[in-house]
Amino acid sequence: MSAHLIDAAIEPASEFALAEPPAQPPRRRRGRSVALFAGAAAYLVTFLIVLPILWIVLLSFQPSGNILSNPFSFDQLTIDNYVRAGTALPLLQMYGNTILIALVSVTVGTAISFMAAFALTRMIFRRRGTQSSLRFYLLAGLAVPVYILLFPVYRLDLALGIFGTYAALILPYVAVSIPFNTLLLTGFLREFPGEIEEAAIIDGAGLWRLCTSVVLPLMRPVIATIVIFNIVYVFNEFPFASILINDPDMVTVSLAVSRFQGQYTVDYGGMMAAATLVLLPQLVIYAIFQRHVIAGMTVGAVKG
Amino acid sequence: MIWVSSRWKILLMVAPALIVFTAFVIYPVLYSLGFSFTKFQGFGAPEWIGLDNYVALAADPFFWQSLQNTIVILVVSLVVLIPASFALALLLRRRVTGGGAMRALVFGPAIIAPILVGLIWVFILDPKIGLLNRVLGFFGFAPVQWIGGDTLTPYSVALVFIWSSIGFAMTIFYAGLQLLPADVMEASALDGATGWQQLRHITVPMMRETFAIVTILMITNVFKIFELVYMLTGGGPVHRSETLVSYMYFVTFTNQQYGYGMALAVIITILGAVVSVGYLALARGRKQPA
Repeated sequence: MSAHLIDAAIEPASEFALAEPPAQPPRRRRGRSVALFAGAAAYLVTFLIVLPILWIVLLSFQPSGNILSNPFSFDQLTIDNYVRAGTALPLLQMYGNTILIALVSVTVGTAISFMAAFALTRMIFRRRGTQSSLRFYLLAGLAVPVYILLFPVYRLDLALGIFGTYAALILPYVAVSIPFNTLLLTGFLREFPGEIEEAAIIDGAGLWRLCTSVVLPLMRPVIATIVIFNIVYVFNEFPFASILINDPDMVTVSLAVSRFQGQYTVDYGGMMAAATLVLLPQLVIYAIFQRHVIAGMTVGAVKG
Repeated sequence: MIWVSSRWKILLMVAPALIVFTAFVIYPVLYSLGFSFTKFQGFGAPEWIGLDNYVALAADPFFWQSLQNTIVILVVSLVVLIPASFALALLLRRRVTGGGAMRALVFGPAIIAPILVGLIWVFILDPKIGLLNRVLGFFGFAPVQWIGGDTLTPYSVALVFIWSSIGFAMTIFYAGLQLLPADVMEASALDGATGWQQLRHITVPMMRETFAIVTILMITNVFKIFELVYMLTGGGPVHRSETLVSYMYFVTFTNQQYGYGMALAVIITILGAVVSVGYLALARGRKQPA
């Protein structure tokens, strides 16, 4: 839609987030007070946005009695809630399932999208029309909202006999990632000159060597964007998981969270501790990869 | 590249993506469309009933209620979110101590699973135990039924949606602002333009495309809101706070009226596309000189 905006967000993935704002043109009189006001407003808004998370964390350390009567007190904080949540929650299993599903679906999705994108931009088809209509066919998936797929995919999993396995969830995750992956990958390959690849072929590289040791290394930034975008999606996905997972041993993080209200009923402290136990690892990982995550997700959304 | 382009090699490269995509995206869409013309309760064969599901939808008060709620969320979100996130981008663009950290914090909610966002906000909005009513009570106001009442839930859902999207929208605006040519700003400042004049006559018009992108994204995302309602009210009481998608989920998977649910899914898909395309057409039309 807008090549420039996308470039600003994607190409210098780090620069985009790193770039210091350009100096404002000098202002004469009101400059100082405006700057002061703007700074204060920015801090206030940021505080308000972080507030709900702080509230959850505070509640998670309150003894159960305090949550209803006196949630703002700081003198009786306890980790009892975490002990209860830790014993009740199959944390390792939740994370294990989610990480397994995310790793497999993102790896497979990226790999087969890359193969298709390479063929659709670099290989010579007998008829050019086939090539561009295939690309268009894959991109058409961008217009399909996920919730129209829920019921048919459930039926399809049953028919294929994979319902109840990880594949039941992995396959739709792979499928819905293909349109977006194709968009980014073919977009990159189209703008990228093919000379290096031609040189490699003349040097005797076959298709496999060409892809793995010449093209893929050049595409690291786009691949990183795709991987981050899809991992965030799979980690947070709920509708598919809620329908395609029946076995309590296969529960993902989102699915587990959706059951907290039923599981803890009035044990609000336990619920908040459980929520914090899910929230914090995610926020820590986000803090570490913050620039890449922001760039990856923004490009993702802008292009999609 | 002719050397590596034998027919079977091309097939080998394209086939995996093509097969998975066709089986799990294209085929399901056609399947849903087909089922929307049938009556199917999960057993026996689906019975062909033509357009009956669509006719029934038109007479279903819960459908209209969920449509109305979705529109409320859409309008409130757009009216608040777009100006607010743009203003925030302008604020954070200034040299403020900790600006980078603030941009990261503000974006944070966008990476939290929607289902967890819903749970977090239960503890803010709940009329009895929520933070909001406690704060109101502290200042002597009567408690408000933010969620679970008859009227306010869609507005509360909009608030939560705004919370989770503002940093995201801000980031796109921020990227757009970085692309504005600095010389135009300097020239206009030399000509004596005030900050407000620059904003109104230069920045906003030059960022028209960014505004369009953010608006389209937010429209698409509002039409996807499901987990928030699921966690906050479960659509209740009596479907009063349902959105289109949450009502579709209820009809399909709780009531197991699969044919009816798919008709609803088809309608939501078409509505979402029409609103997005309609907005784009409007935005394009406005661009042309009158």
